[in-house]
Amino acid sequence: MKALCWEGINDVRVQDVPDPRLLNDQDMILKVRLSTVCGSDLHLLTGHIPFMQAGDVIGHEFMGEVVEVGPGVTRHRPGDRVVVCSFIVCGRCWYCRNELYSLCDNTNTNPAITQHLWGADPGGIFGYSHAMGGFRGSHAEYVRVPFADHTAIPIPEAVDDMSALFASDSVPTGWMGAELGGVKPGDVVAVWGCGAVGQMAARAAQLLGAERVLVIDRFDYRLRQAELAYGVETINYANTSVGDALLEATGGRGPDVCIEAVGCEAHSTGPQYAYDQVKSKLKLEMDRPIAVREAIYHCRKGGSVFVLGVFTGLVDKFPLGALMNKGLTVRGAQQHGQRYIPMLLDRIASGELVTSHLATHVMPLSEGARGYELFKKKEDDCVRSVFRL
Amino acid sequence: MNTAGKALLAAGVATAVAVVRRRRAPRPDDSGRRLAVTVDRAPEEVQSSLQEELARWRDRAEISIRPAAGDKGTELVVTPIGDVSRHELRLALRRAKSVLEAGEVVQPDTAPTHPGPLGKALRLVTSRAGGGGRL
Repeated sequence: MKALCWEGINDVRVQDVPDPRLLNDQDMILKVRLSTVCGSDLHLLTGHIPFMQAGDVIGHEFMGEVVEVGPGVTRHRPGDRVVVCSFIVCGRCWYCRNELYSLCDNTNTNPAITQHLWGADPGGIFGYSHAMGGFRGSHAEYVRVPFADHTAIPIPEAVDDMSALFASDSVPTGWMGAELGGVKPGDVVAVWGCGAVGQMAARAAQLLGAERVLVIDRFDYRLRQAELAYGVETINYANTSVGDALLEATGGRGPDVCIEAVGCEAHSTGPQYAYDQVKSKLKLEMDRPIAVREAIYHCRKGGSVFVLGVFTGLVDKFPLGALMNKGLTVRGAQQHGQRYIPMLLDRIASGELVTSHLATHVMPLSEGARGYELFKKKEDDCVRSVFRL
Repeated sequence: MNTAGKALLAAGVATAVAVVRRRRAPRPDDSGRRLAVTVDRAPEEVQSSLQEELARWRDRAEISIRPAAGDKGTELVVTPIGDVSRHELRLALRRAKSVLEAGEVVQPDTAPTHPGPLGKALRLVTSRAGGGGRL
């Protein structure tokens, strides 16, 4: 079959790879219909996450049709249309039982790597390096779905393929940031990053009752898209002081909840960006936590900061003094998708959660390399490239 | 390969070597330490399945169970007897936990056929990563 493979730093190519097969009783094989790029893939492309092998199939946000199930699969059968959460989960360990699905104990096949890095191993992810289990990704004609009963979720008839696609990762990730960030009715919420995840976090904050939602980015086209889709307020940090704008918008208090949806390769302006670039190039820090610093600094006293962006290791100049002295609650997580996806599909079906506008560039898998190029360089107003199979 | 690429390759190889060395040279006081894993099942269920899951370790490890605090299941604690591979023992504990909780041990997907230099170095790590770590 054809698949989009990581072949080296900034080198992805469509290759012929062996078809997947059932390896466990609880596996199923999915014919992928749609699979989208994600900002976190860029950390693989740039080599920021150095746990890839040439030939690894990438992609983790997808939906499709079931074509084969193992004898241990009871909830799906061939022909079913499903969205697959990017995190593979057993559904029965303590973490799954407590709906902390991305922390599943039984799905990372290489636990020692992340145990050494972080003290414990999160669950496995499709197409996201050997540190996260070494599973093949979804930019392929077919993909094996382990623990299929828990990893995949049926799509209601009222939800079309393109809308369902984003329920795989960006929608539940955004929702989680707002919900676990503690958004309450009447809150003012600021979201750093206006990609798909940031937009979904902003919409989730609205649906959870936030009175005002402000989204921060450097690309006008992404900010315009969020304004049009959800009516949020926007701040372009390239030409506006974020701190001043947030203080003005909140009567001098700062946002009640700050959601960071940028991640470890953040951009910025001014000397702090140069500082972080130099330090990360010299490997004196692993990640550039620019948006996290800003979120902590600008959050109101006693407020809440949620880190949604992917980080890999150690950072520099972390504002621990602000965190402690302002009495902030800081939390982060990879997405606990299975906790939210059924509810989110219902919201998509009802029309209150619109997602399909995120697919700005739909193309065949054969154009996968171009899709990543557009996405990475933010060319042609690309928000998400989506591969149709 | 550009400079950044070479730096990343070097970092990857260094990480691989460090992890492998670390596995080959455990800290001296690690050797007698017990290994423990928590299984999210009741003690009776764990007890009844232990014979099957850890049968081959009966003569090489002392196995005990105790309820975990706060409704977190059962702690499975193992004391190695004699010259036992802690890597193999960790692997066995992880496998037992996965079978008890999820009914099977998830298998990794087939590896690529042309991993490249970085991938080959990474394979040194992943070849031991199933049984390594902090367990």
